[in-house]
Amino acid sequence: MSATLADDELLITRIVDAPADVVFSLWTDPEHFRHWMGPGKYECREARMDVRVGGAYRGMIYADDTGEGWFGGVYREIVPSKRLVFTWKWDSGPSGELESLITITFAEHDGKTTMTFHQTPFLNVERRDSHIGGWNGAFNKLGEYAEKLAREHAR
Amino acid sequence: MQPSDPLSETLFALADPTRRAILERLSRGPASVNEIAEPFDISLPAVSRHLKVLESAGLISRGREAQWRPCQLEADALKRVDDWLEHYRRFWTGSFDKMDAYIAKLKKEKRK
Repeated sequence: MSATLADDELLITRIVDAPADVVFSLWTDPEHFRHWMGPGKYECREARMDVRVGGAYRGMIYADDTGEGWFGGVYREIVPSKRLVFTWKWDSGPSGELESLITITFAEHDGKTTMTFHQTPFLNVERRDSHIGGWNGAFNKLGEYAEKLAREHAR
Repeated sequence: MQPSDPLSETLFALADPTRRAILERLSRGPASVNEIAEPFDISLPAVSRHLKVLESAGLISRGREAQWRPCQLEADALKRVDDWLEHYRRFWTGSFDKMDAYIAKLKKEKRK
């Protein structure tokens, strides 16, 4: 078992070498978004966004060996250059049908932006409210225990 | 909603504060239903229902002794959650690397 379970909710902090309004636009302007979305060999070929609370977005990344991967969601909170909250779901694949919530915050210092990306798995919006904030403590302990079990198992 | 795939079932089971508290209790070692129920202000049947959800999600297993069927945590189901997160971690980290490269390109173009 890897150590990543300890921080169950996905939390990635990056310092991006650009002002907050630019980094924010990389998420909310489809033309920008297409240039970076998708790791490595993936190419973002579709990005449509209705950037307002309750508005939807939809996109697709492509690679020759895996074909098209469609995803989409709905915006929940929009604070220009500061905060963006939206749901995320793949159409298919191992996490298809599983909706998650993404929260990104942007904080600018000396022309650079600290971008904090947070993703929480949940099944639907109703359930989200019931468990937000509740994952961490439980998972930290479970993670430690799971690692202990794995170590014992390996003996 | 009754999730069909194992990951959804695991996350569904985890999406409840009481069930997470039960798992936390079991992370300290196996326990009987009575021991598990003790700190909670809910009935034994309610605890049993939660245990059933956790068991069907593969998060716990129950002993076979008729009298004292101790519950214990199963690490494999948590591994599924971990793998899922790791998949996303790689996905986003890889995308953010591209974001950095794109910003560098934007800056270069601006300077021209």
